[in-house]
Amino acid sequence: MKIFRFIVSKIFLRKAILGIGMILLLCMANYITFTAARSILSTFQGYQETKYINQEGIYIANLDPDSHMDMGLINENGTHAVYDYLNNNFNYAFYTDGFIVSIPNTDDMEISLGYMNEEYYKLNQFELSQGADVDFNYQFDGEIPVLIGKGLSTTYPVGSTIKMEESVLGRPITLKVQGVLKQNAYHSNYYALNSKTYYNFSILVPVNEEFMNHANIDLRLNGLMDITILQSTKEQIADLGEVIKDNLGLIFNFFSQQQNYDYFNEYYLHALKIICIITFILLVVITCLSVWNALVSVRLMLKDFTINLLVGLSYSKLKKIFYGYFGILSFINLIVIFIITAFDRYGCWLRKDATFATYGLFGLIGMDWLALLLVAASDILIGVIVVESMLWKIKKIPISLGVLQ
Amino acid sequence: MKKSLFRLTDMLELSFAYILCFSLNLLLDYVKTLDLDSYLLKAFLKNFIDYQPLVVSLFTFIVIVFHYQMLQRKKVEIFCRILVGGTVFNITTRYIRDSLTILIPVYLLSVLANAYLDFNFFSNFYLVLILITYILISARQVRKYENF
Repeated sequence: MKIFRFIVSKIFLRKAILGIGMILLLCMANYITFTAARSILSTFQGYQETKYINQEGIYIANLDPDSHMDMGLINENGTHAVYDYLNNNFNYAFYTDGFIVSIPNTDDMEISLGYMNEEYYKLNQFELSQGADVDFNYQFDGEIPVLIGKGLSTTYPVGSTIKMEESVLGRPITLKVQGVLKQNAYHSNYYALNSKTYYNFSILVPVNEEFMNHANIDLRLNGLMDITILQSTKEQIADLGEVIKDNLGLIFNFFSQQQNYDYFNEYYLHALKIICIITFILLVVITCLSVWNALVSVRLMLKDFTINLLVGLSYSKLKKIFYGYFGILSFINLIVIFIITAFDRYGCWLRKDATFATYGLFGLIGMDWLALLLVAASDILIGVIVVESMLWKIKKIPISLGVLQ
Repeated sequence: MKKSLFRLTDMLELSFAYILCFSLNLLLDYVKTLDLDSYLLKAFLKNFIDYQPLVVSLFTFIVIVFHYQMLQRKKVEIFCRILVGGTVFNITTRYIRDSLTILIPVYLLSVLANAYLDFNFFSNFYLVLILITYILISARQVRKYENF
């Protein structure tokens, strides 16, 4: 320890610019690795989440990009006719969110309401930390049982009620908290798997047929955009497309399992491959620069190293000192990345951004910790390359020549 | 470059460092112009594009490292030159002139690349200012070696 402290303070820190250079290069390498790792992990999580809809006989609706939406042509009767047809002929999973309401809560966040039907609830299997599953056969005129996010559980514990003056039903409603979702429960966007909406400040409202019949046109129309048709055939889906076109004037595409796989392979795998290639190239460039920086350090500190070798310092001990020094630099960088991430997560709380606010140690969630672990692994790899090249350079020069320099 | 402190390898190393800095800026400018249809890729690249000036400025630190290590190695040479009649003023001005002689062609090359890609000519001018500042700061270091 004494010799380590001596070499760090008397040799490395005397030429601090080289150390700072190494820290900055490592910082860039770490930032690139962290960003790439988080993108890949987040996409993988999204893919895992949507796996349940990637089954034979399941079709996902999507408004055709070329279909013009004329709100003047869309009316109550049209949406009712579409939902009547859906209810009579299909099993479907309905989910829509993004209805923002102001409900008092300890963190002063805007609350997002999500609406789902029983099929969607069964498919997703939400994990609860408190309370029980919601009941979809509730009395429409009474209290509606709901699930809430962790962020609302202190203000509204299980069994309490939430009164809302405005709702999609066009009248005040009362919600009863039936259960609390596990912290950081999320929903991935079907069309951007790496993008997530966290449910910590959300309320999930169960929707039954009666509710749908009384809901306003916004809810019914939004719900159609991502509706998932279960146990169906291509012919039935084509008929549904016609019904929607006749009643709402909208053209919908319905994607099958094969189409979803093809889309994933073409769109996501391709993008993930590019991310991996970019990351790899940048890491190789940064590693080369780090080696250059390390060799420059050896060139300038050669005299000091060789004097120490002359008076008894062994190469193996020098190697350990180099690894220790590099370990300290890596640790500093990991702390920097950790602080940036924690600040980024905390920023969501400061901005009152309810859809991205997460809970965890210093605000970091599992995906962040895993990405940090990958950063540490990449640091170890770069460290081995840098330290071994430094030792190779020192060993190449005879001790006597080094001292003479 | 007569009487220069720069050897061929030093010139190549410094040119390479400058090229890397300008290339990084150019690359990020290029990425900004790409019309990507992949949200995933866009979100990934946004992490770098949003902080372009910061990323490029931090990257220029390799030029500081170069100037620092080169002048450290030239300590004895500078002292000997003073000993045989050279003046600190002349050595310093030669050092600044030589550094600029390397910087200007690299900058012009990057301007040509900007013109070819139809980018703003002056999008990397801020880098020239940063790099000139580094040259001037490092030139002050030459004075320190007057009394070896």
